[in-house]
Amino acid sequence: MRILKYSLLIVMLGLSVEAFPQHQDTVKIIRRSSGLYLSYNSSLIYPGVRAGLELPVETIRFDKLKASGEKKYFVRDRYITINMGWYHHPEFHDNLYLTGGWTMRRTNDKGFFTEFSPEAGFSRTFLGGTTYVVDNNGNVSIRKLAGYFYGLVSVGGGLGYNLEKVKKIPLSVFSKLNLLLMFPYNSTIYLRPALEIGVIYRPVNFLKMRVKSKNRMR
Amino acid sequence: MKNYIAVVLIVLSLTSCQKEKISIGTNASDTFYVDNAGASMRVLVEGNTSSHTFVLFVAGGPGASSFFYNTDYIKNNIADKYACVFWDQRNSGASQGNSNGSNLNLPQMTDDLKKVIEVIKYRYGENSSVFLLGHSFGGLLTASFMTTGDNQNMVKGWIYADGSHNYPLNDTLTRQMLITVGQQQIAENQNTDQWFPIVDYCESHTGGFSLDESFQLEDYAEQAETLFSVVKQVNLFDLIRQYAIKDNWPLTSILFNYLYSSNDDFNQELAKTDFTSQLYKVTTPTLIMYGEYDFVCPKGLGEDLYNHISSPEKKMVISPISGHDIFLQDQAFFCDQIDQFVLQNK
Repeated sequence: MRILKYSLLIVMLGLSVEAFPQHQDTVKIIRRSSGLYLSYNSSLIYPGVRAGLELPVETIRFDKLKASGEKKYFVRDRYITINMGWYHHPEFHDNLYLTGGWTMRRTNDKGFFTEFSPEAGFSRTFLGGTTYVVDNNGNVSIRKLAGYFYGLVSVGGGLGYNLEKVKKIPLSVFSKLNLLLMFPYNSTIYLRPALEIGVIYRPVNFLKMRVKSKNRMR
Repeated sequence: MKNYIAVVLIVLSLTSCQKEKISIGTNASDTFYVDNAGASMRVLVEGNTSSHTFVLFVAGGPGASSFFYNTDYIKNNIADKYACVFWDQRNSGASQGNSNGSNLNLPQMTDDLKKVIEVIKYRYGENSSVFLLGHSFGGLLTASFMTTGDNQNMVKGWIYADGSHNYPLNDTLTRQMLITVGQQQIAENQNTDQWFPIVDYCESHTGGFSLDESFQLEDYAEQAETLFSVVKQVNLFDLIRQYAIKDNWPLTSILFNYLYSSNDDFNQELAKTDFTSQLYKVTTPTLIMYGEYDFVCPKGLGEDLYNHISSPEKKMVISPISGHDIFLQDQAFFCDQIDQFVLQNK
């Protein structure tokens, strides 16, 4: 009798979910082009450049019906990114860094988006001046390409506008604030904020990836 | 991807600052690095290199950057006549490296200083006259340098500004000065709220100081000099506002290096370090400068140095309006004294 009661409860719960859906997913696999981006990457007054690839992994479209009857939607995209950055801090160092990351982007139906992206990789600095080495006999020589390898992690958040949504141009413009952390830097860490302003270009047929696409009703 | 790497490498090579640049002139500004035992230490040479006379600033700390010493006043009143050399010691300022904390110790830093002088002479000529200027902890480091082997033959003079060559004596003198001056101030009903806890602390800690006690005395000493209106107060944020962008300060590097160095275990060793018994070896001309209101490194340290060095030419002067940062608090006095001393001995 008890088993029957529980079974009935489960069936009823299941029916209620079907009858009043809160989330309805339609999953399919689509092929989407990857994006290329290029940005100016500055820290205060110090210049830099960043470029990379963003490989789409997942896209979820959320549709909602407002109380007024108006239909709205936003899209949540996930990308794996491969990034190369460089900045120049005069007399301190130039830093070239390579990272892999995971970008989470949310775009509304007007094309505005916000994003958050953690990254990890490594960097190689080049010291901002001639570097000398002195041996124990006092002989001085120059060390070429002096600098250090560091582990590097970064987190960044920003906003942008996808021109494709409204103007059908496969471009987005964005601005993002990143915080770089390098280690081990003199047995401790080095932190550096960097502000990116750039564009993302999505050619029609470029590195097409199999992307899990979902539609979800809210 | 290969194309990206190529583009970035081209940009990098175009902007690379590693090409050797040696400026001989009246308004030079050369940055280079000295690589030693896991650290690449930044050296900035500013001013009149054609004089072939170099005043090498050895900063306090440990861990403070030499950027703080490169003020406009010093540029206009010392660097116009001689070249000023601002050296960031290992694990300080813009100096860089990986896991190099195990090399952060006084003998290694003494060797670093020797190598910096060798590079200055390599770049600007063996006939270059070098004057060592040690401030605060830089006093300890330069005392180590001057009393090691025949190092002192590499320099024409030793300038000792608010320095400390004997940390145990330093703690004792700081305590004595805080009690003596504190009691006078209390008797005159001046800042009693601040002085009572300072004097109480000093009277209940009588000697054989632990590192924590030593740090506490230093905190009280820094607080004490702010209680005298005659002493110009140093505001770190004003310095940052004035110079950080103009002089390309790597602010986070300065901060994290300082936090690491000032908390590193080697401070335990420094707390016991005493060069008084070695000072007899010093025969180089020496200028000793202190601030009357320096509680951090009281002028008694200068008297100890003056009484123990064997230099036939030695001079001790006191600024009546300065605390521990004489190069900022009495700039005219500081620059005039250096100018006269260098002129006499270069």
